[in-house]
Amino acid sequence: MVCYNCGCRLSEHDFCTGCGADVGLYKKIIYMSNRYYNDGLDKASVRDLSGAIVSLRQSLKFNKNNIEARNLLGLVYFEMGETVSALSEWVISKNLRPKKNIADDYIDMIQTNQSRLDAINQTIKKYNQALLYCYQDSQDLAVIQLKKVLSYNPKYVKAHQLLALLYINIEEWEKAKKELIKCSQIDTNNTTTLRYLKEVEHMLMPEEAAKSTPKKKLFSDDVVRYQSGNETIIQPVNVNEKKGISTLLNVGLGLIIGLAIAWFLVLPAQIQNAKADINDELRVVSEQSDAKTATIDELQQKVQSLTDENTDIKEELESYQGTDGALKATDGLMMAVSTYLANSEDTEAIAVYMEVLEAEEGEDVTKTASFGTLEETFLTLISPQLATYYYDLGYASYRSDDYEAAIPNLERAYRYDSANGDALFYLGNSYRRTGNNDKAKEIYAQVIDDFPGTEKARNSETYLAEINNEN
Amino acid sequence: MIDFEEELKKFHPSLEVEDAEEAIYNEDLTDMADILIKMVAKAKPEEE
Repeated sequence: MVCYNCGCRLSEHDFCTGCGADVGLYKKIIYMSNRYYNDGLDKASVRDLSGAIVSLRQSLKFNKNNIEARNLLGLVYFEMGETVSALSEWVISKNLRPKKNIADDYIDMIQTNQSRLDAINQTIKKYNQALLYCYQDSQDLAVIQLKKVLSYNPKYVKAHQLLALLYINIEEWEKAKKELIKCSQIDTNNTTTLRYLKEVEHMLMPEEAAKSTPKKKLFSDDVVRYQSGNETIIQPVNVNEKKGISTLLNVGLGLIIGLAIAWFLVLPAQIQNAKADINDELRVVSEQSDAKTATIDELQQKVQSLTDENTDIKEELESYQGTDGALKATDGLMMAVSTYLANSEDTEAIAVYMEVLEAEEGEDVTKTASFGTLEETFLTLISPQLATYYYDLGYASYRSDDYEAAIPNLERAYRYDSANGDALFYLGNSYRRTGNNDKAKEIYAQVIDDFPGTEKARNSETYLAEINNEN
Repeated sequence: MIDFEEELKKFHPSLEVEDAEEAIYNEDLTDMADILIKMVAKAKPEEE
């Protein structure tokens, strides 16, 4: 403490030892300021921020140079969300004591973070806008704005109080109470908060009383209501439930109703489902059956067509075979041709195969056109050779008086060479020598007709006359 | 019972950052000590 007059440090006396000025009253003023500062500090330490503000402002009214009081006041303002007021106090504090002042740190803390400062400013602007909405009777908008404000600055006591006031106005007691509880957590002894809280609790008192006691208290004759969070629970009282028989009756009734529901609702549906399943299976089976029937029909048709084809093929085959002879005839001709192609001089082998052909031709055999063509061509080719072969054989047999053997060869010789009159004449002689006079006469007549004026013919006439005379 | 309108009157707009400078300048920092000094200063010429 220094003298207000000369700035000399004061002693315990009530006068200044430097200038002699009366400092008794001055000291008392300073003591009062310090007293209020202490009081404000005590209140601030127990979070009675409103009380602390009053005490600290009193302290500053006594002594504006009480830097500690001013700095603490700024802190209290800052804690309550009044950032600009806090900044004001700190700026004044810094001006009063430029050096070794913690207000420097407080100011730097806010001003260095520009985004935080902007957020603080926006918060204040929104609060002022909400207040304006309240004046304009746009309370819904005010509520919205205040909620935004409190989301940015949850310690803004005035915003909490204003919001609580709005909730009280629309009788949202629980919401108002929540806001006021938050206020009291920040500033315990705030008069406005306590007043609002008293009002809210008074409105909630019957429900609160019921909630606080373990037993339910009757609010009216027939119901009791209490709050559980945000829900109001209303429960009838004096309702005695009849146990025993009523329970059994209720259970029985429930069973009957359940069975009835099952019988009329559940069972038909299940039956319907079962029927639908059966119908589906039946349809599937029918489809399969139809498919198989169609397959069977198709296969039967196929069998029939194959049978018909088989029959046709058999007929065609038989037409190619005729009887067994047609096949052999073809074989004989083929072998004869094959033998000729292999060795055209092998007349004996060719003759053998031609005899096979000749033997089958004697029967009623159907020839194809190609067979006939081949046979004709081959005969044209081989006839002279065969005629010579068979004439030699026949004549050799004739000369050795083996007329039975000569006859077929001489016949073949004449067949293959109808110009060979000798073969015909000797054939006739062979028939005559074997006693076949009818055949001999026929041959002799043929010689006479085919070879007139020749010795063979004259001899034939002679032998013919002899045969006729014998008969 | 709380009167909304009456209570609303007690709420005043908060100072914005732009208003801080003016508020600081307009702050009356006269305290009891200043008053006492003035009184003493006033009383002294009268004694003389």
